[in-house]
Amino acid sequence: MTEQTTSSAPPKMAARHVNVFYGDKQAIRDVSIEIDNDHVIAFIGPSGCGKSTFLRTLNRMNDTVAGARVEGDITLDGENIYDPSMDVVQLRARVGMVFQKPNPFPKSIYDNIAYGPRIHGLANSKADLDVIVESALRRAGLWDEVKDRLKDSGTALSGGQQQRLCIGRAIAVEPEVILMDEPCSALDPIATAKIEELIHELRGRYAIAIVTHNMQQAARVSQRTAFFHLGTLVEYGVTSEIFTNPREDRTKDYITGRYG
Amino acid sequence: MTSPPPDETLTRRIPTDWKGQAMQRRIAARYRAERRFRLIGLASILLSAGFLAFLLVSMLGNGLSGFTRTEIAVKFDFPRAPMVVDPAMLEGGNADQVLAGANLPVVTAQAANAALGEGGDALISSNAWLTVRDAIRDDPSILQREAVLSLPASADIDLAAKSQGTAQAEAAYARLKQGGHVSRAINMPFLTASDATDPTQVGIWGAFKGSLLTMLVTLLLSFPVGVLAALYLEEYAPRNRWTDMIEVSINNLAAVPSIIFGLLGLAVFLNMMHLPRSAPLVGGLTMALMTMPVIVIAGRNAIKAVPPSIRDAALGIGASPVQVVFHHVLPLALPGIMTGTIIGMARALGETAPLLMIGMRAFIASPPGGVTDPATVLPVQIFLWSDEISKGFVEKTSAAIIVLLLFLLGMNSIAIYLRNKFEKRW
Repeated sequence: MTEQTTSSAPPKMAARHVNVFYGDKQAIRDVSIEIDNDHVIAFIGPSGCGKSTFLRTLNRMNDTVAGARVEGDITLDGENIYDPSMDVVQLRARVGMVFQKPNPFPKSIYDNIAYGPRIHGLANSKADLDVIVESALRRAGLWDEVKDRLKDSGTALSGGQQQRLCIGRAIAVEPEVILMDEPCSALDPIATAKIEELIHELRGRYAIAIVTHNMQQAARVSQRTAFFHLGTLVEYGVTSEIFTNPREDRTKDYITGRYG
Repeated sequence: MTSPPPDETLTRRIPTDWKGQAMQRRIAARYRAERRFRLIGLASILLSAGFLAFLLVSMLGNGLSGFTRTEIAVKFDFPRAPMVVDPAMLEGGNADQVLAGANLPVVTAQAANAALGEGGDALISSNAWLTVRDAIRDDPSILQREAVLSLPASADIDLAAKSQGTAQAEAAYARLKQGGHVSRAINMPFLTASDATDPTQVGIWGAFKGSLLTMLVTLLLSFPVGVLAALYLEEYAPRNRWTDMIEVSINNLAAVPSIIFGLLGLAVFLNMMHLPRSAPLVGGLTMALMTMPVIVIAGRNAIKAVPPSIRDAALGIGASPVQVVFHHVLPLALPGIMTGTIIGMARALGETAPLLMIGMRAFIASPPGGVTDPATVLPVQIFLWSDEISKGFVEKTSAAIIVLLLFLLGMNSIAIYLRNKFEKRW
């Protein structure tokens, strides 16, 4: 894919010298990274390296964890998201999230998608909402499979469909950034392929960051890769370079399966 | 193979003999334990079922006759009776008042004496004239002619009819029966009247309505407060020493003897706040204090059981904490909360002691019109009747227990229906 890294416009999201603590324990050390619309960024690294923690600081989901503390700057369109003036509820609408385990609401497929637009007042009428639901499901690649059973429960879908429903639910509120926390780890290869295809299609429209344990997946879906190890950002760069010519030995060991 | 074994005992271990005698014995012992456990479980189920069956059979055996009464047919010759009633006055709403001044008790007694021989007025209930009054009110035209009315028998005769009377009453009943005067009928007044001194006149409606109003007050107060407290404690409150203390206190409250809640109600609601004595309002408030801890505990457990992934999902698309709670957590926890509420309410419905303290054991002969009217409740009514000397109250007590059990059954059925409905909504 295209890899023009030099854009003069400010990045959609930028993290500068971010430290994250859980109580006394430091989970993230001095991480600086940029997320933008023109590329998908993959966070890789062994379990417990802090990549999910870092992802969750980007939309302040860590606020719900008791004792979690963030230092450093994380900006969305130049605004610090940890600034007291930032409304965290709106931030989470602008920076949507897809979780490791598909977690549709135990409501109908339609209501799953419509919930976000409803609470944010994005639809003025039932017809508006219908349009939003249809377009979100189309973009999530799920419309053809569920259009005749929108009233069925979202939890009755297969795992892969549920995950696409969750992606559709996230994009229905028109976020600017989508964070995906190992979205395929609970899915079979066919469902995984569909999600990866979907990520390709969503790129450009949304800034996407994805955490994954699967090296091939990182290589397939991302244009940038960040390798985390023990809470530090070891290496960060263009995906093809990281996978073919890593600068650091630790990165090389990890992507070749020496550890992790 | 190349490295030596870490421990010599490992290499010296005898291979397990899966077919050996010791192993067979162990397997047999395991099966015996399994069978024993199943038998004990079955036995305990049978034992509880037996107790329940015994309770139901004895209640139904004693109580069903309480729903019937003995009636004696008495002929009235109204045109010649010593009474003057203008039929025109009976139109409209004040027929009862007009008839109350119409000398009906004397008319009834005379008619009974005429029909049943001297002393006949003692065989019918002292309030039988009320039946006559109702008959006239319903059909004023009988004043112009002779009519045969079925009047409730006196308590003695009623007992004799149910083979529990004194020898004298039995003899009187036998005579009546020979004369073809007596019949058995459904005791409708038992379901529509309130407490009385004469067992043939008592009814359960007053206590039933009192229970209904009390439960309503309890539910309206304890359910929202209990659920909100549970939600706050689970979703918002920080985990620290204070919340730990609150948790311990709530658990303790759920186990406090109910009589203490009664004393509290007496001191706070009656003495300090001067709320009306014996009223369902005060009863409901006291019961709500008792029920609330149960709802809080059940509610917290139900809320805890909601998967965190649902909270994450809602927060992740920008739902505010309140929206997360009311759109997702509460609906998912509601079936569990309702189960706890059913348990708490059922306990409150059967509670007597705290209500004695706040004066709901008074003799109240008319059903309460609202939550501030004096009233009693079913279990207290049962307690009061079981204390009565007159033998006629025995079957009324059992009948009241049947009504209470049916009330409980109805309440639980509604709650379980609602719970299942909420569970099926998604």
